[in-house]
Amino acid sequence: MFRLAMASMRSRLIPVGLVVVALSASMALLLSVDRIQQATKSGFNQSLSGVDLVLGPRGSGLELVLYTVFHLGKPTNNITTATVSDIASDPMVEWSVPVALGDNHRGFRVISTTDAYFDRIKFAGDQPLVFAQGNTFRDLNEVVIGSDVAEALGYTLGTEIFVTHGSEMLGELHDDFSFKVTGILAPTGTPTDRSVFLSLEGYELIHLGWKNGSKAVSLKGLDIEAIPRDHLYPQTVTAVYLGLKSKLGLFKFTRKINDYPEEAVSAVIPGVALAELWSMVGTVDSAFKLLNWLIIGISIIGMVTMIMTGLDGRTREMTILRALGASPPRLACLVLLETFMISLTAVLTAVILVRILTLGVADLLGEWAGIRIQLTWLAANELMTLMIIVLAGLGASLIPASMIFRRSLHRGFAD
Amino acid sequence: MILETNALSYDYGSGEKLQFPDLKVAAGEKIALVGASGSGKSTFLNLLSGVLPVQAGSIRLLGQSYKDLSPLQLDKIRADHIGIIFQSLNLIPYLTGFENAVLGLEFSRTRRAKIDDVTYKTTSLGHQLGLTSNILNKRPNELSVGQQQRIAVIRAILGGPELILADEPTSALDPSATEKFISELNSSVESSSQAIIVISHNPKIIPWFDRVIRIGRE
Repeated sequence: MFRLAMASMRSRLIPVGLVVVALSASMALLLSVDRIQQATKSGFNQSLSGVDLVLGPRGSGLELVLYTVFHLGKPTNNITTATVSDIASDPMVEWSVPVALGDNHRGFRVISTTDAYFDRIKFAGDQPLVFAQGNTFRDLNEVVIGSDVAEALGYTLGTEIFVTHGSEMLGELHDDFSFKVTGILAPTGTPTDRSVFLSLEGYELIHLGWKNGSKAVSLKGLDIEAIPRDHLYPQTVTAVYLGLKSKLGLFKFTRKINDYPEEAVSAVIPGVALAELWSMVGTVDSAFKLLNWLIIGISIIGMVTMIMTGLDGRTREMTILRALGASPPRLACLVLLETFMISLTAVLTAVILVRILTLGVADLLGEWAGIRIQLTWLAANELMTLMIIVLAGLGASLIPASMIFRRSLHRGFAD
Repeated sequence: MILETNALSYDYGSGEKLQFPDLKVAAGEKIALVGASGSGKSTFLNLLSGVLPVQAGSIRLLGQSYKDLSPLQLDKIRADHIGIIFQSLNLIPYLTGFENAVLGLEFSRTRRAKIDDVTYKTTSLGHQLGLTSNILNKRPNELSVGQQQRIAVIRAILGGPELILADEPTSALDPSATEKFISELNSSVESSSQAIIVISHNPKIIPWFDRVIRIGRE
């Protein structure tokens, strides 16, 4: 029966091939979209852990989380360090880590912060940041780099680098002072891997002599040690990560921050901001998925139509098989077997396609959006989706299979 | 007795009732059914092969009455005990001659069990009918009508079904090929255990058969 089904399909190679292409392409599309969505969600959810609140200038909480944690978008405003000190001294606050953003190094975002960042900021549940090589920055002209930065640019400990002003790669270079790589972080699968960390004072240092976003005075050759440290104390930062002593007071403290009288600041719970993001993305995502399922449905209809119209041209074949003693259920099984084989071929093609697509775009997505796609062949939920498609195909092909029951054999004999 | 029919008739619903002669076919018998076009020859064949239901009268194959059998059992009877040859277009176009020849065994364990080496038996029968292995490996569109009919013969007799039914098997053949084909068909059949019923309107083939039965409209 299997050989018969195979031979029958081989004889209709072009229509069968087209159905396989249509089905596998729609399945590959569905799986790819699902993978990107899962990777995005997982990437976002795992990027930041251990932080109760993100404090920043008043505005969209989601925007604040996106540009501070995920490096998406640009910070529009800053908050003063006076406010930061005041809020950090609140009895409910256990720790605070300020960050100042704005510059980049060859496209990788520069984060100026304190060395507490590497102790307090966790990822993927509760995993701490680990140094693969070296240690945190201790001097003004030292930087720590993420694993992707090290790999992409071939940097090792001791490499001297310059920082570029602004978030554009082609911005003006802060070439008065260079930084030495003193630490390389182990991979985390989060935006941290694509970040360059330096101290807040170092960040202030490279902006000495700058006015309105461009260099006003060159300080090349200036002895760093000669610069008074209080000149390097930042007046503003972009945001502050806060850890509270007790989670019970989280919402109360959030309200308190949002009502802070001295400056327009707001505090965002990262999880809440992400939930807001998923609810925004969810509608588009659902619509896209629905569209995908519709394409799959149309492909299945195409397959069934091909089999049904094929049956008209196979009257003689069916008559011969019936004359040889093949019962109608057996012929119906032949049709179902053909459908199953078409679906299975489409599934295998889709899996290979997704694998190739994943391999092809994984790096691109990682660099462009920080989305890390799992390079697995097939996850359990994907297998389930494909099984549903195969079953739907089999279910739909019951229509042509049942047509065989209705066809009378003697009509073929007499032809 | 291989086949026995009694008072068999069939009505297609048009009020025109086809009556068929009573038939008793013993093992080894070669019977020709002759009659004019529209006399009901093909209907008779469809009744004998179990394709059409018995409306009136009876058919017994190897002692089993068709009326006692379900459609699925009739399919099994056909697979195990009947070999059918059509007048033309006997072969499935996407299978090779060899694959077409052994196709009947796919649906009958009984017939398959009677053959030790399917390839050997099939090619032997092929050689007996003048079909080389090369011809057997070709698809129907690469074969002549005569070669296709010979492959249909192999398919019908392979595994030794007790009854061979042939519906105008020579209608697509030229006169010289007709006699050769009938001769080969008769010699291929194991005369001791198999019987052949051939429908034809060609009087030239009559001498090759033990009995001639006329079917006429009443």
